[in-house]
Amino acid sequence: MSDAASPGSGQSRWWGILAAAGVIAVLPLIFPDSYWRTNLIICALNVMLAIGLDFVLGFAGQLNLGQSAFYGIGAYVSTLLIMRLGLPFWAAFVCGVAASAASGMALSLFAVRLRGHYLAIASLGFAVITYQVLLNWISLTQGPLGIYAIAPPPAIALPGLPAIDFTNLASLFYLVAGFALIAYVLLDQLVRSPVGETLTAIREDEVSAASLGIDCRAWKVFAFGIGSAVAGAAGCFYASFVGTLVPDAFFITESFTILAMVIVGGMGTLVGPVAGAILLTVLPELLRGIGDWRLIVYGAALTLVVLFMPGGIAQAVRLARDRLARPRSRAVAGVGR
Amino acid sequence: MTGAPPIFHAAGLCKNFGGVRAVHDISLAVAPASVFAIIGPNGAGKSTLLNLMSGIYRPDAGSVLLEDRDVTGLPAHARVRRGLARTFQKIRLFKQLSVIDNVIAGFHTHHRIPAWQYVWHGGAFQADRARCRAQAAELLAFVGLERRAHALAGALAYGEQRMLEVARALATAPRLLLIDEPAAGLNAAEVEALLDRIRVLRGRGMAVVVVEHNMDLVMNVADRVLVMDYGELLFEGTPRDVQAHPDVIAAYLGAGP
Repeated sequence: MSDAASPGSGQSRWWGILAAAGVIAVLPLIFPDSYWRTNLIICALNVMLAIGLDFVLGFAGQLNLGQSAFYGIGAYVSTLLIMRLGLPFWAAFVCGVAASAASGMALSLFAVRLRGHYLAIASLGFAVITYQVLLNWISLTQGPLGIYAIAPPPAIALPGLPAIDFTNLASLFYLVAGFALIAYVLLDQLVRSPVGETLTAIREDEVSAASLGIDCRAWKVFAFGIGSAVAGAAGCFYASFVGTLVPDAFFITESFTILAMVIVGGMGTLVGPVAGAILLTVLPELLRGIGDWRLIVYGAALTLVVLFMPGGIAQAVRLARDRLARPRSRAVAGVGR
Repeated sequence: MTGAPPIFHAAGLCKNFGGVRAVHDISLAVAPASVFAIIGPNGAGKSTLLNLMSGIYRPDAGSVLLEDRDVTGLPAHARVRRGLARTFQKIRLFKQLSVIDNVIAGFHTHHRIPAWQYVWHGGAFQADRARCRAQAAELLAFVGLERRAHALAGALAYGEQRMLEVARALATAPRLLLIDEPAAGLNAAEVEALLDRIRVLRGRGMAVVVVEHNMDLVMNVADRVLVMDYGELLFEGTPRDVQAHPDVIAAYLGAGP
């Protein structure tokens, strides 16, 4: 893909990822209290949800409002397998991710002729149905009463090293953020490969893409599978981190929150939604001091971003960088002539 | 038709839209290394016929053969793998992508990368990328756009966009290229440049089908001409025969008194 996909290419990109790993390593040291460590973990979960959605929305161009459902399916499937069937955590994790991916692919197959607003409504309907099933299938999910006392991931004991215990929030953050980083690298590699070109072609014009031999249906199923698998992984971690599962955590508003993270960060870049997820997780916490006013500030900030920065944070950073590098030639960033 | 067996063969194609017979009982055969023109007044069903050939529409009746294999039931994307490519009457480029990225998207069916290298960009991946970039640059040079490689496709002039669409279609390495209304919106010099490229492609053994309502334009490039009117075959023959045929003259100029 072009350089617009993410800042940096080749060597400098790997330095950026190394820097991100360094930041992840020091963050729990900067924030020793459990309140902020909890927020750090939520940040990492939201990053996974946002980049998963962005793969479907920003690259393949499919307006998917079902991300909350894939998140919930990963959480409930893995938890129920652990609590009902006694599966080990990591086996249940794989199953949860697979179940989310399969439901995403099924939704895409079902909605194969839909796009734009129609796909948005269909995927929103899927999120509503999933929520209602979680709420009303009481014999399985215990409905609104919720599932309690979900254990954290089991401690990892590598030979010769002290065991890593995930009841410790810092360790749990390293685990979730590590997975978020791995997911980011894998998605980034994919979008910089011909897969990225193919998805972008589908986003831009499906008829044209088909005229180049691209099987749009198969590739949309693929994109949905990947995007919902990442959401499913976040769901598995969510359950074992919070220790409690209630359907309200996967209400459809969650889909819109994730969508806002992607839009504020910048659709069609991967680094943008990472920034959007962190900002929209941390901002409401920072605004707690002003009580209910924070909702107004939050809403206003969101509206302003969409109005004045339609390309999100990623576009704003790119424009600023271009202006700094070439202060005289503003046209370079724009249309080219 | 002489010599080589046709690369493309359609028999008894019919397509109705509601009560409108857009295409009715059209049969045609396209020889390799030839230019086959489909002409007719506006609304004669030419673009519908092209969409039947490329697989965007399914025919209500009739069959389509590509190199002697029946592709009637194959969707458009699967026909590309069998060597068929096309351009569009209303240009459909990826306007937000650069010129060269548009061409690179055309290599979709030709990547040679093991699956795992899509997430770990190893030697085969880098070699494939270099090969695509080099071939895309060659194709851009072929249509005279090498200096615009990094402009956005949407920023090109109209004539350049049409040339880019041809280059993108050529990236799929077709043996049969369908060009819909090549002259629409182009000036005389641009039309001449495009016709020249079509002749070069024919010289390389490619079959080119050109849909055009401007009869004069195709007369000095086409080997065979099929004339349509009201969805039906009016006449098929060499350009010289077509120009002399009374039915064709009547369709274009109106029947005499």
